[in-house]
Amino acid sequence: MRHRITTGEKIFHAINYIFLALAAGIALFPFINVIAVSLSSSQAIMTGKVFLWPVDVTVRAYKNLIEDGQLFYALKNTVIVTLVGTLFNILGTVMIAYPLSRKHLVGGKLITALIVFTMLFNGGLIPSFVLVKNLNIMNSFWALWLPALVSVYNMIIMKNFFENLPPSLIEAVQIDGANDICILFQIVLPLSVPVIATVSLFYCVGWWNNYFNVMIYITDSEKITMTVKIMQMINNFNDTLLQSGEGVTSDQQLVPEAVKSAAIVITTIPIMCVYPFLQKYFVKGVMIGSVKG
Amino acid sequence: MFLKQTTVEESRKVLPKAKEKRARKTLGRMYKDRYLYLMMFPVLVFFFIFKYIPMYGTIIAFKDFRFVDGIMGSEFVGLKHFIRLFSSEDFYRIFANTLLLNVYNVIFSFPVPIILAILLNEVRNRWFKKSIQSILYIPHFISWVVLGGIIINILSPSSGVINQILKACGAEPIYFMRSSFWWIVVFVCSTIWQTAGWGTIVYLAAITSIDAEQYDAAVIDGANKWQQITKITLPSIRGTIAIMLILRMGQMLDVGFEQIYMLQNDAVLNVSDVISTYEYRVGLEGMQYSYTAALGLFKGLIGLILITSTNYIVRRLGENGLW
Repeated sequence: MRHRITTGEKIFHAINYIFLALAAGIALFPFINVIAVSLSSSQAIMTGKVFLWPVDVTVRAYKNLIEDGQLFYALKNTVIVTLVGTLFNILGTVMIAYPLSRKHLVGGKLITALIVFTMLFNGGLIPSFVLVKNLNIMNSFWALWLPALVSVYNMIIMKNFFENLPPSLIEAVQIDGANDICILFQIVLPLSVPVIATVSLFYCVGWWNNYFNVMIYITDSEKITMTVKIMQMINNFNDTLLQSGEGVTSDQQLVPEAVKSAAIVITTIPIMCVYPFLQKYFVKGVMIGSVKG
Repeated sequence: MFLKQTTVEESRKVLPKAKEKRARKTLGRMYKDRYLYLMMFPVLVFFFIFKYIPMYGTIIAFKDFRFVDGIMGSEFVGLKHFIRLFSSEDFYRIFANTLLLNVYNVIFSFPVPIILAILLNEVRNRWFKKSIQSILYIPHFISWVVLGGIIINILSPSSGVINQILKACGAEPIYFMRSSFWWIVVFVCSTIWQTAGWGTIVYLAAITSIDAEQYDAAVIDGANKWQQITKITLPSIRGTIAIMLILRMGQMLDVGFEQIYMLQNDAVLNVSDVISTYEYRVGLEGMQYSYTAALGLFKGLIGLILITSTNYIVRRLGENGLW
């Protein structure tokens, strides 16, 4: 059904396009500004010349951060926490979601209910903290990994996916006498690559951005991650990062804004590199999750 | 008489037998599934230790907990901490702040994804739509530490770009992060920045399931865009909006700790101190474990009541609840 586009509609579309472009511009602007600041000279930053584009381009802020080395300690810790954490998460989530997805499992309904209940009510911050302290895993990455082994939300997503696999596939190999572990590895997992990718990314981003647990459980400065490091930099700035090398005139001195911005950019780059995948699989995950919560 | 006795006796024999048979069948099924149980056993241990033991641990709210005494050994003090909590001014302040910030978010942030979704749906150019969506989703993936750092940077009174623009327009620089009013504005805007784009996904999905013929018919009847949106699109996604709103109501006592903690400073503690930041500051930093555990238990129970009642309402409306 084609119809003539009226003038009113034309105006609507024009305004709509402009409005959405403006909204996207506002959402993107802070990121662009932070990149521009991280690459600008101190004088340009302090006199407020930096807007969308770096002024008097310099990479001193990045250079100082690299030479200081502390940020890279933190980056290394973030990578370890993220990779190992995600691996544990996926193992744990498959190990619980697969058995619970089998319809005739005795006690399956009760176990699912008990697990979902932990989503609605939990002991809260203080009892969890007391537990971690009593287990003597404070100040080690185990204090991050163990309490967060399985997220109930992700478990539900994976369980729903497993439940929707054609049962005939599993029944066929069951007759051949394959046990459940063989079925999981040979039939179910190869068919579940999409859901595993989705859930892995959910976990991965969660670990990468994790802040609160690192702050309360990790006290050793050599074990902190990027997010905590950046928070420390924002709160009490370490002046050694501002010192310029020999033969640098005073107007090339760094300001804290430049170094903080550089640290923020360094933390965000890895996320932006995998962003196309994140977006695709996250949207899928939201859909799967909302089909049957 | 004789006949009756045998039946009773028989039934006495049969009943345990049937039970036994069923039990054996169940056991047989469980044995068949032994690998499944074996597989999930470690994860069940995890849930027991890290989810159910802390629930038991909330009893420290009724004790004077000290690490040296342990949870069992600490002295039982009854409702002491609850009485102190409910009679302290702090409690009413953080409770009011938590609710207020949530109310502001519901009023100002909640409608934004709906509007964006409706507008995005009207875009015919696929490339343009995709690009806008990709940009709007970005903040969802970035940690609050980074988002907060960026916000503080661009709002800085000396070098921040927003104040530079104000100065260029001849206005006085504004200390956004240190004024109670502007802090709340920043809080709400930052929530919109982080959540609005991502929130459109649910509404866009609802809008795409609307029958296109409705629009064609409306166009033939001479309906303009505004009428199409208010008479077709909005009524069609009313159910989705209601569900999202009700679910949002279930979280009225949750304000993301990281967002507040990043943006917070001493000057605006009177409006920005919420339950979660108070728990952290007084409980962990101030080491008043039992007192804050009482607050945590109170918050958890209110949360449980809120979510079960919203779920009940959702189900009464004929939609799929959370359970």
